[in-house]
Amino acid sequence: MCGILGYFRKHPGTDAQLGATMLNMLQALGRRGPDSAGVALVGPAHRAGCIVRVTAGGELEMTPQAIEANREAIQVFAASLHGASDLSSIGGYVRFVLNGDVDLLAFTQAIESIGEGIEVLSIGHAMELSKEVGTPHLLEGKHHISAFAGTHGIGHTRLCTESMVDLSHSQPFWGRGAADVAIVHNGHITNYHQLRRKYEQRGVRFMTENDSEVLAVYLAESLNRGETLRQGLDGVLRDMDGAYCCLAVTATEMGFVKDPYAFKPLVVAETDDFVAVATEEIAIRSALSGDYEVSEAQVEEVRVWSR
Amino acid sequence: MKNEASHLARPLLQTSGTYSPDVMQGIHTKAETGIYEIRGYGTLRPRRWATFDDLTFLPCGLTRIPLEGYREKCSTRTVLGGRFAKRPLELEIPIMITGMSWGALSYNAKAALAKAAAKVGTSNTTGDGGLSPAEREFARDYVYEVLPSRYGIDVHDLRGASAIELTIGQGAKPGTGGLLLGSKISETIAHQRDLPVGVDQRSPARHPDMLGPDDMVIKIEELREATDGQVPIFVKLGASRTYDDVKLAAKCGADVVVVDGMEGGTGASPAILQEHTGIPTLAAVCEARAALEDCGLYGEVQLIIAGGIRDGVDAAKAMALGADAVYIGTAALISLNCNKPLYVEDYQALGTEPYHCHHCHTGRCPVGITTQDPELMKRLDIEEGAERALNLLRAMTLEIQMLARACGKSDVHHLEPEDMAALTMEASIICGVPLAGTRKVFGR
Amino acid sequence: MVEIAAVAIDAETLSTREVNALIRSRLQGGATEIIVENPNARHNLAVALLQPGRVRFLGSVGYYCGGLMDGAEIHVQGSAGWGLAESMSHGSVVVHGGAGNGAAAAIRGGTVVIHGDAAARLGVSMKGGLVLVGGDCGYMAGFMGQKGTLVVCGNTGAAFADSMYATTCYVGGAIGNLGTDAVIETLTPEEAGMLNGLLAEHLPPAVRATKPAGRDFKKVVAGRKLWNFDKHNWKTWQDAL
Repeated sequence: MCGILGYFRKHPGTDAQLGATMLNMLQALGRRGPDSAGVALVGPAHRAGCIVRVTAGGELEMTPQAIEANREAIQVFAASLHGASDLSSIGGYVRFVLNGDVDLLAFTQAIESIGEGIEVLSIGHAMELSKEVGTPHLLEGKHHISAFAGTHGIGHTRLCTESMVDLSHSQPFWGRGAADVAIVHNGHITNYHQLRRKYEQRGVRFMTENDSEVLAVYLAESLNRGETLRQGLDGVLRDMDGAYCCLAVTATEMGFVKDPYAFKPLVVAETDDFVAVATEEIAIRSALSGDYEVSEAQVEEVRVWSR
Repeated sequence: MKNEASHLARPLLQTSGTYSPDVMQGIHTKAETGIYEIRGYGTLRPRRWATFDDLTFLPCGLTRIPLEGYREKCSTRTVLGGRFAKRPLELEIPIMITGMSWGALSYNAKAALAKAAAKVGTSNTTGDGGLSPAEREFARDYVYEVLPSRYGIDVHDLRGASAIELTIGQGAKPGTGGLLLGSKISETIAHQRDLPVGVDQRSPARHPDMLGPDDMVIKIEELREATDGQVPIFVKLGASRTYDDVKLAAKCGADVVVVDGMEGGTGASPAILQEHTGIPTLAAVCEARAALEDCGLYGEVQLIIAGGIRDGVDAAKAMALGADAVYIGTAALISLNCNKPLYVEDYQALGTEPYHCHHCHTGRCPVGITTQDPELMKRLDIEEGAERALNLLRAMTLEIQMLARACGKSDVHHLEPEDMAALTMEASIICGVPLAGTRKVFGR
Repeated sequence: MVEIAAVAIDAETLSTREVNALIRSRLQGGATEIIVENPNARHNLAVALLQPGRVRFLGSVGYYCGGLMDGAEIHVQGSAGWGLAESMSHGSVVVHGGAGNGAAAAIRGGTVVIHGDAAARLGVSMKGGLVLVGGDCGYMAGFMGQKGTLVVCGNTGAAFADSMYATTCYVGGAIGNLGTDAVIETLTPEEAGMLNGLLAEHLPPAVRATKPAGRDFKKVVAGRKLWNFDKHNWKTWQDAL
């Protein structure tokens, strides 16, 4: 199904090589999942503002003209915002920083109502999410992951199973409505539809038919309720059924939860410098040299690292 | 010469599809009695409408991972009535025994079912006659029915219940009341029901003190007052205008809605009601679920489905479509030897044979289940019957678990419509489930 | 001399649940008379009272007052809504005003007395006990009555005593019309005396004085043609079914 990975630097200060390291890990995992690739990277925090990343539309579903029209409309909108700065765009993506407090969900919906196919990929003080249909190589070509300097991040390569190959079904998923929260998931949540219906009944909007999305919704709710990432991941063990290894990031933490059946692999390497977690050891070895041990995460294990 | 013509000697029988033999016999009977046919069981017609048999499960393949069928945990614990009740009903399995009256059933039958349910950790439901001594003594949890007749109504029995079921109708004959013919109104039953001995009693179709959902809101509150808000209040509906009824019941404050479909059984009823009233159970569960979803209460108000649940497969399919639990009635009686080839000459005396008998209304049940005759009742040994019913409940539970595990679920309540495909267009349209071979849901 | 310990409850600011809880706890605590002020015709007051003691409502009550009762005594100085004393097994309920539909529905014992008029389906499905109405009653009183005694001092509405089992009815005024299988039987002198006794016992003298004498009541019972189906009674069944 998928390859997931996470990388967490223990030293204070940013690591200029974070993006490059993660790209290496991603490429090594890429043979597991040629359908899409994505990362959620955590850089230096903007104190007073949030980084907003928006896609103007998917290349598989929309014409270049439609995407271009959306992109312009987003830029116009962003430029008109009081407190927006650092506006940039690459291809079908727009990025800007929004200073000041804002209701994340309302703001997200406001942007997405600008045009058909527009989707907010992430909002966070420090987290930035990029994902692309195709290989890690393509991801790099569009988003220059290797240039990203930061402290920790998660990544994903996908072999799609039950839902479609398109951008909105790719991972990571942002925990919509909660700043800086993102997840990647390997496995299949078998009570997804039931859970989704409960959320929808409460007004939560799902963007895809992908069962992984419910993990992002779940953790976003948990963190918005004031719970810690650890509490949220403990909740996943309680409330989700099926197979899952799930990796999550916040502005200051990275954590994982492994299902009760050990259906999906997750190996962990930890040194004084870093923590690396991946579906396969090759992803860690090919990116990180050194003499360290790699071990399989335990059944029903939850671990969280904080900065 | 004779040989050549012999093939013309015997004409072929041509049977009318309109005035078939059973229709003719029905008219002959009416010509003798001047009244409609009354019998037990439920619809006897061949099932030409969409049923659970038109759905199939989609176990795990490459896209999902199955659980080991005989090894890995698959929880069957079931909790009903958390919406308002301080003490929701907690069961070990999602299968419960439905309301069948003491009167329609013998004391021994009631006792056997109570013992079996208690042993496996599930509940019994009283029926149109109040709490029987058998349930009082042997049941672990009993659901106390408040029916239009109010036969045997007793506030202390009500307060001893684990749940109250306000019965509006039942699947075999929605919109009408119960029927118990004179041969079964024995001294004991007459005393219990405050009726003259031997009368052909007809239960009312309407409650005496509430007529409509606006009254029902207040009635449900009264029942909560009477039980200190402790236990869940179920509202039981015969499946008719199910979508509207379920919405109303949920909005009126039911903790749990029970929907009993057309294939449900009864001890005695006019045959035309069994055949030509109500909608099938498959249709009913889909309507009920849609109703709860549309009023935003799915998951908050639980759903119990009844009406022709024959095995764990029917139960699992009902649960995948939205039921939190199922009621069994006829299947439970069959486990007690209903229609077993025992005392065959007594079946024949009733004009029937084992495997074909639906003569509960006569009170002459050859195996002692639906009779008040003490001699006939002796043929149902309570302990033996309890063991048989227990075995059925256990076997059904194993069937549900097997299907759930094959679909990758560690809890039977995680079964979803998306775990199934339809084998017919109609089932696809009714259930909103893709037609096998097409990946398409028709009619939506 | 016996002191009656009277307790007053003001229902104005209390929820129905609170009023009922207070009534129960006061009865359990030994109060013999509880006065409830400002009932404001609320529903479900004094439901499932299982202890002896008297509860007096200074005002009107709503639906199901005294429902599911076993053993207490309720007085309503006002009118009552639907289902008064429904399913009561023992005890008594007295309403000084009128009562809504289904008064004394399904009672198995006890006494329901209504000084004023009763609406439709008085005593429907009653399985025992005594129902006594000082005024008139409405449509289908006594419907499917199984046991017990139903007394109406005034006039009845249409379909009186329809489809009954073994309840006995007595009417002091005019019968609107008789329901299916309802027949008039001759009143015995013992029954006339019994009725005089009931009226004297259950109605205040001023009310009783305006009512007919026992011997002027008509007795209505089931003709029993609906008890077991017989095709020769088809006409009766056609009306009933």
